[in-house]
Amino acid sequence: MRYLRLIGLFARVSVQNDAAYRADFAAHVVVTLLNFAAELVGLWTIFSNTGSLAGWNAWHMLALLGVFRGMYGIIGLFISPNMRRIMDDVRQGTLDYVLIKPVNAQFYVSFRGMVVWRLADIVLGAALVAAACMRLSAEVTAGRLALFLAMLACGVTIIYSFWLVLATGAFWFTRVTNMEMVFWNVFEAGRYPVEIYPPAVRWTLTYVVPLAFLTTFPAGSLIGRAGPFNVAAAAGFAALALAGASWFWRFGLRRYSGASA
Amino acid sequence: MILLRSAFPAFLKMSLATMFQYRGEIALWAIWGVVYPSVAMAMWAAAVTGSPDGQTIRGFAPRDFAAYFWLTMVVGHATTAWDVYEMGYFVQTGQLSPRLLRPLLPVWQSLADNLAYKLVTLAILVPIWSVIVLLTRPAFGTRAGDLAAGLPAVLLAAVINYVWCYNVAMLSFWVTRMDAVGQGWFGAGLFFGGRLAPLALMPAALQKIAAALPFKWVTWFPCETLMGRLSPAAVTQGLINQLAWIVLGLVVFRATWRLGVRRYSAVGA
Repeated sequence: MRYLRLIGLFARVSVQNDAAYRADFAAHVVVTLLNFAAELVGLWTIFSNTGSLAGWNAWHMLALLGVFRGMYGIIGLFISPNMRRIMDDVRQGTLDYVLIKPVNAQFYVSFRGMVVWRLADIVLGAALVAAACMRLSAEVTAGRLALFLAMLACGVTIIYSFWLVLATGAFWFTRVTNMEMVFWNVFEAGRYPVEIYPPAVRWTLTYVVPLAFLTTFPAGSLIGRAGPFNVAAAAGFAALALAGASWFWRFGLRRYSGASA
Repeated sequence: MILLRSAFPAFLKMSLATMFQYRGEIALWAIWGVVYPSVAMAMWAAAVTGSPDGQTIRGFAPRDFAAYFWLTMVVGHATTAWDVYEMGYFVQTGQLSPRLLRPLLPVWQSLADNLAYKLVTLAILVPIWSVIVLLTRPAFGTRAGDLAAGLPAVLLAAVINYVWCYNVAMLSFWVTRMDAVGQGWFGAGLFFGGRLAPLALMPAALQKIAAALPFKWVTWFPCETLMGRLSPAAVTQGLINQLAWIVLGLVVFRATWRLGVRRYSAVGA
């Protein structure tokens, strides 16, 4: 309960900070809309030439695109900015100020700041998924919707864990900010279902850089390409990832030697 | 001109040294140019299976797509330019001021950076490009004549993209937030340059827009020429169009640069 209240507080402070730069906010929203338009036109181009992409039709792909956009927003809203701050803090020694706060350090570093305009991506993504659901009402049942939400939660947990491991790497290698760029590069591949890639790439995108859990699997459970068993497996994987990443964070923290070291 | 001839090699040497120092970072930028075409390649190969005849889309079989997107990867690297972002940053931070004091236009130093980046990153890109060819076995229909026309086409394409990117970058004298402009420029380049799909696959309305923009002469035209998909007449016409875009770009540059610099107030100086 206390943690939820704190998240609310962090969000309010972030909104207040960003409200000072309104033109910047508007510019970012414009860019988001441009990206969004380009993606829709891209989809139009693809499906004016073909009926399906590895078994996904245009409306399935619209749902996938919505999930992709939403995930992009969620990662940009709180995961990537906070993880970037961890890396900076470790490098500059300012992580000291985090550790002396009377709250769980992992919780604090994960939620302390939010990039508010990323909400635009989440809203657009949700709108796309909703539009696709409307159209696919025969395929999208209440049960599948529930599976979809569960799968989405697994995806967010997995990507959070993935980023936490990357950020914890800063305790050993102080310069890891470039990892972020590598991630966004690879993330592009999540725009399409993993089934389009050759087996080796598909395997990598599922187990090494778990993009499949972020976009393909949630969208797939919405349209019945994944059942309760898959969701249970993903939940197990997510729990394991979270536990592993938290352990790794504590392990790394023991190595941290402070500002004057 | 004499000044340029003695200064440009010095700029180039300096840029090469700098790029070499940051080789790790620029390698990451360069790899970005590999991911996008590879994803497009895989996507269109899958799309062929779902197409009405299951074999080709408008004359493109999966291995033709592999050739096309492999070429967009290489041509994309040869023609890249990032001045839209850099200039905005220089104007915002006032870093343009010392560059303006030099007896040469700042564009020459940026051009040296551009060339140095393209050269240094070849060390990592050539091996990657080779592996992709081995894995995807692209079907190049290239004849000697296509190569003879295609290589100058790539060179002209690099000039077009550089000049026009710089022209758009000069907007930063009037607009402070260049991020949005930069994203729009790059997005349009991907789309109307034919990097998401060969232009013939795009809906007719989009092809009309593409015809009025420089991007198709930057990526699509050199790639299709090198693939051997264009008739000699189309190739000649294309080269002429490329030259026209360069001339137009230089005219715009001449007219805008003076106006822009006059507006520049050296923020942060």
